[in-house]
Amino acid sequence: MFAYYIKLATKSMRRNPMMTGLMIAAVAVGIGLSMTTLSVYYMMNSDPIPAKSDKLFAITMDSWDPLRPFEENRPELAPHQVTHGDAERLLAIGYGKRQTAMFESSFIIEQDSEDAMPFEVSARVTDGDFFPMFNVPFIYGGGWDESTDKAAETVVVLTKALNEKLFGGVDSVGKELTMNGATFRVVGVIDRWEPTPRFYDPINGAFNEVNDLFVPFSLTRPLELNSIGSDWGWKAEETTTFEQWLNSEAVWIQYYTELESPGQRGAYEAHLNAYVEEQKTLGRFERPMNNRIYNVMEWMMDYHQIVADDTKVLLGLSFLFLMVCLLSTITLMLTKFVGKKSETSLRRALGASKKAIFKQQIVEVAVIGFSGGLLGLGLARFGLEGIEFLYEAPPGLVRLDWVVMVAAITLAIASSVAAGLYPAWRVCQVAPATQLKAQ
Amino acid sequence: MHFGPIISSLLRNKTGPLLVALQIAVTLAIVINSLFIILQRVEKINRDSGIDVDNVIISYVRGFGSDFDVASSITSDIDLIKSIPGVIAATVANAIPLTGSGSATGLRAVPDPALDAASTGRYQWSDDGLDALGVELTRGRNFYPEEVDYHFPNEPSKPIPSVIVTQALADELYPDDDALGKPVYWGDMQQSTIIGIIGHMHGSWVNWDKLGNVVVHPGKPVQTTNKYIIRVQPGMRDELIPIIEQRLAESNRHRVVKRVSALADAAAGSYRSDRGMAIILSIVISLLIGITALVIIGLSSFHVTQRTKQIGTRRALGAKRRDIILQFVAENWIITAVGGLLGAVLTVVIAYWLETSFSLPRLDWNYLPIGIVTLWILSTLAVIEPARRAAAVPPAVATRSI
Repeated sequence: MFAYYIKLATKSMRRNPMMTGLMIAAVAVGIGLSMTTLSVYYMMNSDPIPAKSDKLFAITMDSWDPLRPFEENRPELAPHQVTHGDAERLLAIGYGKRQTAMFESSFIIEQDSEDAMPFEVSARVTDGDFFPMFNVPFIYGGGWDESTDKAAETVVVLTKALNEKLFGGVDSVGKELTMNGATFRVVGVIDRWEPTPRFYDPINGAFNEVNDLFVPFSLTRPLELNSIGSDWGWKAEETTTFEQWLNSEAVWIQYYTELESPGQRGAYEAHLNAYVEEQKTLGRFERPMNNRIYNVMEWMMDYHQIVADDTKVLLGLSFLFLMVCLLSTITLMLTKFVGKKSETSLRRALGASKKAIFKQQIVEVAVIGFSGGLLGLGLARFGLEGIEFLYEAPPGLVRLDWVVMVAAITLAIASSVAAGLYPAWRVCQVAPATQLKAQ
Repeated sequence: MHFGPIISSLLRNKTGPLLVALQIAVTLAIVINSLFIILQRVEKINRDSGIDVDNVIISYVRGFGSDFDVASSITSDIDLIKSIPGVIAATVANAIPLTGSGSATGLRAVPDPALDAASTGRYQWSDDGLDALGVELTRGRNFYPEEVDYHFPNEPSKPIPSVIVTQALADELYPDDDALGKPVYWGDMQQSTIIGIIGHMHGSWVNWDKLGNVVVHPGKPVQTTNKYIIRVQPGMRDELIPIIEQRLAESNRHRVVKRVSALADAAAGSYRSDRGMAIILSIVISLLIGITALVIIGLSSFHVTQRTKQIGTRRALGAKRRDIILQFVAENWIITAVGGLLGAVLTVVIAYWLETSFSLPRLDWNYLPIGIVTLWILSTLAVIEPARRAAAVPPAVATRSI
């Protein structure tokens, strides 16, 4: 029977191709636009490390200007980064299960051969804990251990892409690299790793790509590594020498910790408070005690509010747009039903029950919804490419997630059926025979 | 014109017209609010930066190796760039306006740290800086060449006798006074004197509300990466970019020429999300107007076919073609009027949502009547053709099939 309804549906759709086309197009455009914006929204809101997102914490401590808060509009917030001194001291205490301090820097890679031009790469200066903490996958070798951090050894972990460029993609562990005049030993090559959003550094860009390489944080002092990310200062202090800069009150280091369980959060905050209490006796941290740690989602959504307002506005408007498209579909379907009065009454006269007419009608709108949904997904794909082009996003940043795809088709069918209920009900109210008279 | 029969005919079959009215309402609300956002973004993108953006080239170079002498490389680079025909002026700078990267500081008119400082973008460039950006000094003087010295990262900070500020910053520091010749105090309470005022100039971050606040102090910053600002003769930018890149690369093998590009491209990058939003919303409203117009046309044509007999009867009873056209147009007007009214309410609701949830500026209410009139004209145009077809129904049709 269902196959028969489908056949009737396609037949009826073909009888009035303009009207059918318009209905499918309306559903497709509505679904296409709303799924494009939904995909972007979904991407921005997704949990990039679900296994651990409630155990990884970003740390904030209010070491800012005693006279004014870090952020004028949100005075309750402590600075988003910590000072280099605090980072070093917290690392030395090592309270959590794992911890890392980090910032973005850049290096010049010098190559031995004459014709190979030196080039600049972006680096994440971090601790060995970074890799196990954030579940970074390796192709060759691995990260470095605590003794390497302590000894400030010049080791480096490369991304797959940089290893491709420098060593043709072979296992380069043990090979050497000259950067900023120093010799680095390759200890590992990571596999493609693009958590989206880039939860570990929303400060320098939640949707940026991963840095080209990783080097130990303890090299900051001996190699005088500068941050290419953001740094913020409030205190007028002499920062002429690098040592003065490292000891200044400027905040430019991001600090993350991994705890055994989300429940240890309170204990960690108590530990931070104890540390700050101790610093207060040295005349630092003059603001009221305000130390907070944020898990991955809180850090991205609450502190950094990485979902752009524009995205939310577009999402809202696109669903209103979908509503217009569905209103169009209802109107067109209602219109179409008037044209089907005679056919329906003929079928009714020949013995079709109201229920059968109703079912057949619903199948017809479901077919329209399904076709519109499929076409809409195609449009959404196209739309996402358009968005990547407009915003110069790395290709593949926003994808049509299967959740979104299923949602699209379901939404298309469900909304078309909902839109078709009233017209279908009207259709089956047609009395048998009355319409036959006029023929 | 008798509206009575038209209204009663609409009421008898009210679902269809009501749906169309609802569709018109939502369309109106989306279109007006989107249009408002689009025009704001366009205005933002096109605002005057005070800089000769189209004729400025920017360049980033970075030396490497332990014996690399940054200061002398800056001198030779700038001399080299200036020697290229077509180049008007060039300077090294600590940061480049409109690029999204820069430095900010706070200045005060009185040396009291308890008072709130005026936040401002901070630049350091040579006596060629103003010319290299093409910004206009409206009052006072430029830096003298002898005021411009190399600024090394590892040397104690020196006093800064003179600074140039934008009029916007001058007004914020000295709201009731002429700022020229007055002192300003940095975070460490060091004093400088305002020697010149730039009429208008944008800083680095286009989304910052203090974009127009800029302070410049003289010097040639010696950094890991040197940033050059180069202004060229109008029309020569694109041909000079590869030449400058090649000459810089050849002159010194111990460094990387990271980028030579048009400032206009970097500025466009800074406005990327605004442009993206404007384009997406334009597509949205075009599609929306298209769909709604198609539905109105489709529905009207359908009604014409449906009511052929009724039209024929009216014609046979003496109605003129004009009356038939008017009937359809009036029907459409009533639907549009109801839709417009509902739409006005919905527009306000959405505008309120945008204003309170996203702190977007309040909708300019002039958009509402303009939107309704435009919609009314569009929907009238959409119904004209079907109405003319209706009027073409000959009176005889009415009697034929009975």
